[in-house]
Amino acid sequence: MTTTTQPRLTQVFRFVRCNYADGVAELAYAFDDGEELVERISFPDAPAVPAARAAAFEAALTLLHLVAGISYYKAGVPPKIELANGPLDDATADLLDTLYLHGLAEFAYRNGLDLRGRIAFPRASPPSTAGGRGAGGEGTSSPQAPSLGLPQHTLVPIGGGKDSVVAVEAIKAIGGEATAVWVGNSPLIAACAERTGLPMLNIQRELAPGLFELNQRGAWNGHIPVTAVNSAILAVAAILYGHDAIAFANERSASVATLEYEGQQVNHQWSKGYLFETLLNDWLHSHVAADLDYCSLLRPYSELAITRAFAKLTPYFDVFSSCNRNFRILGPKPVDRWCGQCPKCHFVFLALAPFLPKPRLLSIFGRNLLDDETQTAGFDALLEYQDHKPFECVGEGAEARAAMYALSQRPEWQEDALVARFSSTILPQLDVAQLALEPWLQPLGEHRVPARLQPALATIG
Amino acid sequence: MKFGGTSVATLPRWQNIRELVASRRAEGARVLIVVSALSGITDALKQLCAQGDKSKRIEAAAAIKQRHHELLEQMQLAPPEGLLARLDDLAQLAEDGPRVLGELAWQAQVQAHGELLSSTLGAAFLSATGVATQWLDARECLTAIALPNQNERTRLLSAMVEARPDPVLTARLAGLGEVFITQGFIAREGRDDGIAGRTVLLGRGGSDTSAAYLGALLKAQRVEIWTDVAGMFTANPRQVTGARLLQRLDYEEAQEIASTGAKVLHPRCLSPLREPRVPLLIKDTNRPELEGTVIGPEVREHAPSIKAISARKGITLISMESVGMWQEVGFLSDVFAYFKQHGLSVDLIGSAETNVTVSLDPAENLLDSDAIAALATDLAKVCRVKVIAPCAAISLVGRGMRSILHTLSGVLAEFGQLRVHLISQSSNNLNLTFVVDEEVVDALVPHLHDLLIGAGALRTDDSALFGPSWEALYGRGDVAPAAASWWRTDERQRLLDIAAKATPRYVYHLPTVRQQARELKKLAAVDRLHYAVKANTHPAILGALAEEGFGFECVSPGELRAVIAAVPESAPLLFTPNFAPRGDYEFALTTRATVSLDALHPLQYWGELFRDKEIVLRVDLGRGLGHHEKVRTGGSGSKFGLPVDQLDSFLRLADAHGVIVRGLHAHLGSGILDDSHWGEVYGQLASLAERIGSVSFIDIGGGLGVPSHPGEAALDIAGLDRVLREVKTAYPHYQLWMEPGRYLVADAGVLLARTTQQKGKGAFRYLGIDTGMNSLIRPALYDAWHQIVNLTQLDAPATALYQVVGPICESGDVLGTDRRLPEANEGDVMLIAQVGAYGKVMSSPYNMRDEAEEVVIE
Repeated sequence: MTTTTQPRLTQVFRFVRCNYADGVAELAYAFDDGEELVERISFPDAPAVPAARAAAFEAALTLLHLVAGISYYKAGVPPKIELANGPLDDATADLLDTLYLHGLAEFAYRNGLDLRGRIAFPRASPPSTAGGRGAGGEGTSSPQAPSLGLPQHTLVPIGGGKDSVVAVEAIKAIGGEATAVWVGNSPLIAACAERTGLPMLNIQRELAPGLFELNQRGAWNGHIPVTAVNSAILAVAAILYGHDAIAFANERSASVATLEYEGQQVNHQWSKGYLFETLLNDWLHSHVAADLDYCSLLRPYSELAITRAFAKLTPYFDVFSSCNRNFRILGPKPVDRWCGQCPKCHFVFLALAPFLPKPRLLSIFGRNLLDDETQTAGFDALLEYQDHKPFECVGEGAEARAAMYALSQRPEWQEDALVARFSSTILPQLDVAQLALEPWLQPLGEHRVPARLQPALATIG
Repeated sequence: MKFGGTSVATLPRWQNIRELVASRRAEGARVLIVVSALSGITDALKQLCAQGDKSKRIEAAAAIKQRHHELLEQMQLAPPEGLLARLDDLAQLAEDGPRVLGELAWQAQVQAHGELLSSTLGAAFLSATGVATQWLDARECLTAIALPNQNERTRLLSAMVEARPDPVLTARLAGLGEVFITQGFIAREGRDDGIAGRTVLLGRGGSDTSAAYLGALLKAQRVEIWTDVAGMFTANPRQVTGARLLQRLDYEEAQEIASTGAKVLHPRCLSPLREPRVPLLIKDTNRPELEGTVIGPEVREHAPSIKAISARKGITLISMESVGMWQEVGFLSDVFAYFKQHGLSVDLIGSAETNVTVSLDPAENLLDSDAIAALATDLAKVCRVKVIAPCAAISLVGRGMRSILHTLSGVLAEFGQLRVHLISQSSNNLNLTFVVDEEVVDALVPHLHDLLIGAGALRTDDSALFGPSWEALYGRGDVAPAAASWWRTDERQRLLDIAAKATPRYVYHLPTVRQQARELKKLAAVDRLHYAVKANTHPAILGALAEEGFGFECVSPGELRAVIAAVPESAPLLFTPNFAPRGDYEFALTTRATVSLDALHPLQYWGELFRDKEIVLRVDLGRGLGHHEKVRTGGSGSKFGLPVDQLDSFLRLADAHGVIVRGLHAHLGSGILDDSHWGEVYGQLASLAERIGSVSFIDIGGGLGVPSHPGEAALDIAGLDRVLREVKTAYPHYQLWMEPGRYLVADAGVLLARTTQQKGKGAFRYLGIDTGMNSLIRPALYDAWHQIVNLTQLDAPATALYQVVGPICESGDVLGTDRRLPEANEGDVMLIAQVGAYGKVMSSPYNMRDEAEEVVIE
């Protein structure tokens, strides 16, 4: 443990190499002249890469190397980034500059760092004027990659929560071919994936052990845009196994910033937002395959519209969880899946409540979070009451208020401690006209769902 | 003798029945056997009834026929005439469908065939194997009565029989033979007009009820229910493996236990037996040697005791609040009309002047229907209504509940920490029910069961009432019986010699310390064990544990000094103080100890002291466990640990001072015997650790329980290891540490004292010994139960019931209440067991009595 390995004092982050053999991708990184940090991603029962897709596979693998580096880069956030394989074209450098800046915005905020002007991936030509602000759909000057004739088969990542299940059921409803895919070892996700009845693909990701050592030596730590990493993994998988679409289940409000900090938008879910979706979709079309689509099937929908759709999917009630706590050990009881303390537990409980009979909802969570005064602060934050967001903001706050208002009008809910508190304390300060549930149930705004999957969109609303 | 569906489904089971009947015959008893349908047949008949398609019905009847023929083949019997006729009847009924008889009457007739067939088959088998058996049609004995609140469905499918002793029937059977077999579940409709009534069913628990009716009709010597378990237990064995077999209950207690959760007997089947005073015996078909449960009228002279604790989950409460109900005629009637209208049945009721809260029993259809929403909407018209769910009702059952209340303070304190929505104490004085949040129940019931035993409210020491534990009867075969204590066998004489020199004296048995240490070292998942030295700081014990490779956990500079003086420098030290002054940390940082913090204050105000140090953070996961309120160390009511919501602030402070959080620690309490608890703590800590990059070990504390009462199950070390390894597999990058204390040393220590005086006072007999709470404060402080024996007369019959007291001028100076011991003589050596932990270290010079000396033996 010499001072040179103090991660926060490092000067250069190096993308050393990436290679693939026998279903295992090795992604190597290093700080300064330090040891290689090697991440391994294993694709089970990987077929040989068909010659026609070799170039596409190489491109996707390169992107994965660049994207997955974010987990390591953030340990030191050194001033310089080096690429062993030479500089990037503008489109790729723009994508990565943007991803690293916005995807690490929450990390930077929490650690009191300012990453603006610090992240610059080496590029062959001087930086474009877009300068890290990827403008969705406009960067189409790059040539299209060839069309590979990929099979019409969708990869649907399963997260264990309600959203991916709604996406799966929408694709099943139109008779689409799909595979339930997930990265990592979560038994909860495995149980959820199994419940879909679809073919399953479980990709393993093994972080470099050296990262753990860096953490012990006081590395910067915090949130990374894991959806971006998973997206890049699935792009490789799509080419490897032959799929023409990757359909995530990111909803409309994922694009909304959580807060603004010194002039920078901080969005916890940035890599689930529409901007990243368009950037990656465009990049895959231009660099990997013209017929590989990357989209979110739930993009036009609000959380409330999705929970309403989920409320009809009874078979998943005893396996799913949206809880933030990472349950690595699965038990049969609701408390083994829902911590009841985190914002996700609060939100999913509240958003499902208008659409399920009360006893059923309570049986899913094993308790009534809205009748628990110790959860007041948590629900206040969701409602954006006395918390960092003001009332006029749209997004989850307004949705939560609409759901809470609906409950306050229901006799079976209105005496529960937090619903009663809403009625007596918060509601008088709100404009009831803004609290209707119905507008939230309508689809709205842009999406990148390819024509083949658009009928599935309609089944959700 | 009644046998259920699985007991009549196979040839070996019938052979078993034959043997049991023969043994009763050998005792001179005349036997009436009541049987259920072969297992699965009643369900098959119900499905047949639900089938609209005639050909499917005929198919179903054929499958049922096939099943009976297969069993006959196994028995190597030709199908008896009677059976063939019944099967033909069934085939005909399947073909006809409900048209001829009417839907409900047809259903009853079809379903009755399960028992008609099994009893016919049984009669043939028993007669063919040498037990001459008469087949009896239950419908000739049991006549259903019409009740005013019945409709056609309940009249036919869940009928009631009024069973009074019938000497005519008894005499008639006496003329026919010695062994009879008849059907459970069915009876005949009673009619005034002389026409033969239709076949009716008795509904749920029907066969047990049939046996009870017949027992009452014949005023039988007893009714035996043969089933797959030896009887009723003090709790549901699936929740509490230490639940004890209840060997004796009266009708009312048994009915209450059956109604509040026990599945072994349907509550309906006890009331017919009460008036004719026919006892009912529950027996295990596979283990006929076990005593079983006897339910009878007998209320022998026993101290009042809780008999069982039960829990019913899935309960929904409706709380109605209105000033309008105060002194208003008809309010409740209006309210309950809404419940009836929405088809909801009310169970418990609690009321105050302006509030009525009722419970709804669980029902699957309640979950997805809008009945609750609709009910709430209607009720909201007349009062404020609140729906509280999911709840569970925990009932304590026992005769004379109110006279036991004073013993329940520790148990009730447990409820003080919970949200109790409703308490009900029935006027029959048989139960005390608490309705609480459902999520707490799984952990709470086993804990309460232990507390009830510990508080002397569930008198498991009364071997006339309480049998072995479920674990002992049916548990995994690998549970070895507890070895006899060291002081009872090899070392008894040595202890008597030690006591002859002086008393009071603490004696520590080092081989027991080593044995416990080696037991813990079997926990392969644990990387490092620290002995929590506060339990016992005797240098010989510290030395022995250092030789076993233990580290040491200290909570004060004094303990640190004592340990440093007694153990080699290679032994790791932990310093885990609570609300310690700054100077304590300054001292600890000069030693090799790893220091742990559990508040923001030290970093906020003394941050420089810890600059660039590695520390352990003790967090409070927000709930506590343990055998007594005063040993619980988690939850906001406890002073220990940093609340998780202050974690971010702590980490910022740590970062500001270059302090590295190397370990994460939580400790929820003491005396925990449930192995899954540590898995939970471990998992929660590990998921927290992932938010802090620098953590390399997780310390899940100690609190490993040591059973004290006879028959209480020991902590399952292998089970604990499984639980820990499971978590370790999920979080392999963290080392796992533990800090056991009491587990290592409690059993190794005994306190020797001599008897002084005796005194009778009312019903109580006091036995004085020459030391008390000055030497051992745990009974007074924690209501701790320590075994007390008369070592001088170890094997003499225990005929006296003593309150064992010390010489201290405090009414709380009681070491043991209601102890069955031999009649004591002045100067007898008394031994108080399990005092190796928190004995000497908590003693005091109170009353200026000499402190007990400590003696160490190898």
